Amino acid sequence: MGPVPDGARMIAIGGGKGGVGKTFLAANVAVCIARAGYEVVVVDGDLEGANLHTCLGIPPPPRSLADFVANREEDLVKLLVETREPNLRLIAATHANLASAQPGHFQRVRLVSRLRQLPVDLVLIDLGAGTHPAVMDYFLVSDDGVIVFSPEPTSIENAYAFLRAAFYRRMRLGMMTHSVRALITQAMDQHNERGIRTPADLLREIETLDPGEGVRFVSTVRSFRPRLLVNEVRTAEEIKLGFSVRSVCRSYFGLDAEYLGYVNHDPGVRRSVVARRPLVDVQPDCDASVYLQRVAHKLIQGLGAPGVGPELSG
Amino acid sequence: MRSLVDETHYEVLELGREASGEEVERAYRMAQSTYAPESLATYSLLGEDDAAVLRERLELAYEVLSDPASRQRYDEVLDGHDDGGAAQERSLQLPSLESEPPAPEPLRLRAPAALPIEGFTDEEEPDAPYDGARLRRARLARGVEVDQIAEITKVNPSYLHFIEEERFDDLPASVYVRGFVTAYARCLGLDAALAASSYLERLRQHRSEAEETRSWGRG
Repeated sequence: MGPVPDGARMIAIGGGKGGVGKTFLAANVAVCIARAGYEVVVVDGDLEGANLHTCLGIPPPPRSLADFVANREEDLVKLLVETREPNLRLIAATHANLASAQPGHFQRVRLVSRLRQLPVDLVLIDLGAGTHPAVMDYFLVSDDGVIVFSPEPTSIENAYAFLRAAFYRRMRLGMMTHSVRALITQAMDQHNERGIRTPADLLREIETLDPGEGVRFVSTVRSFRPRLLVNEVRTAEEIKLGFSVRSVCRSYFGLDAEYLGYVNHDPGVRRSVVARRPLVDVQPDCDASVYLQRVAHKLIQGLGAPGVGPELSG
Repeated sequence: MRSLVDETHYEVLELGREASGEEVERAYRMAQSTYAPESLATYSLLGEDDAAVLRERLELAYEVLSDPASRQRYDEVLDGHDDGGAAQERSLQLPSLESEPPAPEPLRLRAPAALPIEGFTDEEEPDAPYDGARLRRARLARGVEVDQIAEITKVNPSYLHFIEEERFDDLPASVYVRGFVTAYARCLGLDAALAASSYLERLRQHRSEAEETRSWGRG
């Protein structure tokens, strides 16, 4: 999304809807990338429903992100838990405080900068469901934001809600003047008084108000490149859905989204979850594992060779 | 980010200026399904009215770009006038005023085969042997359903499924399977010789193992 800043590369996996397979995908893609030789930390960002450790076959770790949120532990390195993969470590989300699981704004800023400072090539965050500000922040500060959906109306609906939330937040952050930011806040309410329905409507209003901000708005849109991942496809038609959603992102938001890939509906997936082992471990040759490896391969393009650290030039 | 209504016909269909007739056809069919009524891809984001406007816009783009003569006139308009708004305005008109309106080329329902979806094909080792799963992945990457292959090749779709699932015991004699796999591979534009020989090798191995098991049982 933005230019690659110094430090570990960050990839966020989100998509709004619970149950579309974000955690399963994060665990398996992380294993694939670690096996390609990169040092990877995978973070369970779901403090209200932690189970990334289960997908990786690890018992609930005693230390987790909850210790950082509760100010019990400042040093993220101490929260790292070893996995079965030599290059892969986990920051779990277990034992969160039920009364206040989500970190506040300043904690989130601190968390993100600490994650980037981890001495690894790549940090992969598995986001929780919904569009909580914490979820959106992780998504927007990441170098790559992956939106996962399955070919079902409920999933599509939540994915677009997620994308709308990400889009307007990102645009608001990119604007310089208070009045334009206020206008974007108004547009985020779908029943706003000005009748702004779409991003194109919003751009027209901004251009009237302040042409300079209009130019900035367009360049901010251009720099935002979410990546689309379709999970649980069963037919060729459902694979094409990724292309269609990409087209709609362009015609509705003006966004140049990338179709990252797809993973098929595979009976092995359920078996691997029940066995609490990554699918790429249990059935490395099944279709879903082949597709997961393709996704991993695409995500590490541009990362530089393993072992020499991340490419910092951006 | 202009709205789709203000874009050139090429932009509307997400095509480059050099796109071939076949690419125009494919892009149009893809866009048609994207913005179709009840489409999953627009669900909850675009209202039916919005989608209808976009569909009309697609039809116009396709009408112009699918006919070589009208496309050429349109290209001349795009090239000749770099005066922004005015050219834009004209570009939205069908540039067929000074000549006979071209008869629209009938939409040929060509085999979906050999129309690979960009980006996802050829990601596997080209010389690697084919098994059922690889055949299926190649089919899906090209956006083709089993029934479409069955229609083109006239092979019973059940056999095509058995081939993909490697249900060797349900498949007929290998001479038939060779024909099916060859037809399947050709239909997708795969290396048919390699596909048939490597698949038949798997079939042969399975059948000889099964034979061995049977004779053990007898012994």
